[in-house]
Amino acid sequence: MSAQPKQSGREPVLEARGISKSYGAVQALTGVDIALYPGEVLGLVGDNGAGKTTLVKCLSGVLRPDSGEIHIDGDVQGELTAERARTLGIETVYQNLSLVDTLDVMQNFFLNREIVYNNPVARPLRWMNRRRMYRDTDAHLKALSLPVDARRPVSALSGGQRQMIAVARAITWGRHIVMFDEPAAALGVRQSIQVLNFVRSMAARGVAVLFISHNMQHVLQVTDRIVVLRHGEKVGDLATAGATAQQIVTLITGSELVVEGQDISV
Amino acid sequence: MTETPPQTAEPPAQPSWGSAGVGLLRTRLTRASSSLRALGTLFALGLIWLFFALESQYFFTTSNIWNILLQAANIGIIAAGLTVVMIAAEIDLSIGSLEALAGSVAAVIIIQHHQPFWLGVTGALGAAVLAGAISGLITWKLKVVSFISTLAMLGIAQGIAFLLTNGHAIAGFGNPYDQIGTWTIDGFPGAAIIAAGVFVVLHLMLTRTTFGLQIYAVGGNPEAAAYAGIRPGRVKLIALMISGLTGGIGGLILSSRLDAGNGLFGAGDLLAAVAAVVIGGTSLFGGVGSVVGTAIGVVMISSINNGLILMNVPDFWQQIVVGVIIIAAMAVDQLAKAARLAVR
Ligand SMILES: Nc1ncnc2c1ncn2[C@@H]1O[C@H](COP(=O)(O)OP(=O)(O)OP(=O)(O)O)[C@@H](O)[C@H]1O
Ligand SMILES: [Mg+2]
Repeated sequence: MSAQPKQSGREPVLEARGISKSYGAVQALTGVDIALYPGEVLGLVGDNGAGKTTLVKCLSGVLRPDSGEIHIDGDVQGELTAERARTLGIETVYQNLSLVDTLDVMQNFFLNREIVYNNPVARPLRWMNRRRMYRDTDAHLKALSLPVDARRPVSALSGGQRQMIAVARAITWGRHIVMFDEPAAALGVRQSIQVLNFVRSMAARGVAVLFISHNMQHVLQVTDRIVVLRHGEKVGDLATAGATAQQIVTLITGSELVVEGQDISV
Repeated sequence: MTETPPQTAEPPAQPSWGSAGVGLLRTRLTRASSSLRALGTLFALGLIWLFFALESQYFFTTSNIWNILLQAANIGIIAAGLTVVMIAAEIDLSIGSLEALAGSVAAVIIIQHHQPFWLGVTGALGAAVLAGAISGLITWKLKVVSFISTLAMLGIAQGIAFLLTNGHAIAGFGNPYDQIGTWTIDGFPGAAIIAAGVFVVLHLMLTRTTFGLQIYAVGGNPEAAAYAGIRPGRVKLIALMISGLTGGIGGLILSSRLDAGNGLFGAGDLLAAVAAVVIGGTSLFGGVGSVVGTAIGVVMISSINNGLILMNVPDFWQQIVVGVIIIAAMAVDQLAKAARLAVR
């Protein structure tokens, strides 16, 4: 844990040390250290299969790492579950999305954080205040300039619209740490720019953001620091200011010279 | 418990959301197709009623309608529980056997051991819920699909029922147990009122409580539900316990009407319950369905059985008809699905 460029005087909100994870014979992550700081956008890059998604899932409590420690706000997490991560204010936009198609927009937006009526009869029954949730969802989406009806079933949304709903949900609820796994993959040009703006404005609020993308332009534009994974190992951790696309691509692929059309696998 | 999301800084001006108009059309079509489905089922029920009314003058008499509702009661109750399980993308094949188990447990406690009524009822319901919990735990912890765990429970519960009753029917509950399934209000069957109560409770649970939403979420996309911090295995366990409970209630009503407990009573109800659920539009793949649809399905099955009896059609034809209806309902759903996909 010495290779991390220390952020001036700030403690990381999330710090993972020596994270390893294998799927059977496939070693997806080997001893990865990573730290997220409040107000900082950390880019996580690497080729297909480098282990980015696996790392995010370990940090969001969806996967249990084989070894390694995860500290959140300085506390070591014995067993980080998705439920626990969420109560700690961690929100994630997963690469394969994470919406339930058979539910409507509001039900996805409020999934597992529903508003229940606050009276002695309704509370123990966990009786939902649906009108309030529809109203709030509409308001949140409107605040993010996403004109989608909260009552629309997700199955009736386009791929990009679904992606924006998943992003909007994470932005709305992520108080502390928000992780995006290729949030702009299915998005048009304008929506991509919108997401990049969301990312910056969240960091400005003091949220720690992890941002995964294959788009170097986006990564250079929106991040403060970049961590590079290759074959499940961390091979780079550098400040974005001063880094060039060429430099990062070299770290990602592991070859010094990148010539168009050349086989660049290691 | 209200979370206040932090304020978000102003987004860029005028994001294009080009497909919004097309999306709205899609919303309408998706909604329309599901209410069309319900209307279609009601229409089919109307046709069936019309047919039997023409065939038998007796069909539309008050006493016969009460009779249809009485017959619908215990199938309806177990079908309601099955609906909850199927929305969670699981199945409970043991519900008929759980009826037999509950009736037999009650008979042993009340008739053989001369214990009080409430103890018999509690024991019967407890045994059925326990059986559902065991199926659910096997599905959750051992990752055995519920098709297998509840198939095993089908055999185990019925076997235990036979063991308890020594293979005979233990008869003669007496008052008040024999009233559970036979009480009436001005001729209207009380069992149908109990069934209606079960339907209302489960409907409200599914549509109004957070647990209901979890059931739909887990059935629709267990991975996304898990990402949101819901534990799919736990939700499915509770769903199977609910169908255990409804199996137990169905068993109480059935054994009360027959005034006996035995391993055979209720064993044949699975087919009719599955038919009612699929007629009612609950998806075999989970995430979609309602107990309201199931209620319509149960009335349809019960009407057909009743009408066939009135027409003096031999008993075994009923099973064939119910089997054909299951296939027809599934075929209609597949066609509707294909049509929906074509719209997209
Ligand atoms: N569920 C799984 N079962 C088995 N192997 C898996 C599973 N998920 C990922 N892997 C393997 O683990 C490695 C890392 O995968 P991961 O999804 O983390 O990569 P990634 O960096 O997110 O790639 P991409 O850019 O394509 O999204 C890959 O070799 C992949 O094949
Ligand atoms: Mg990935």
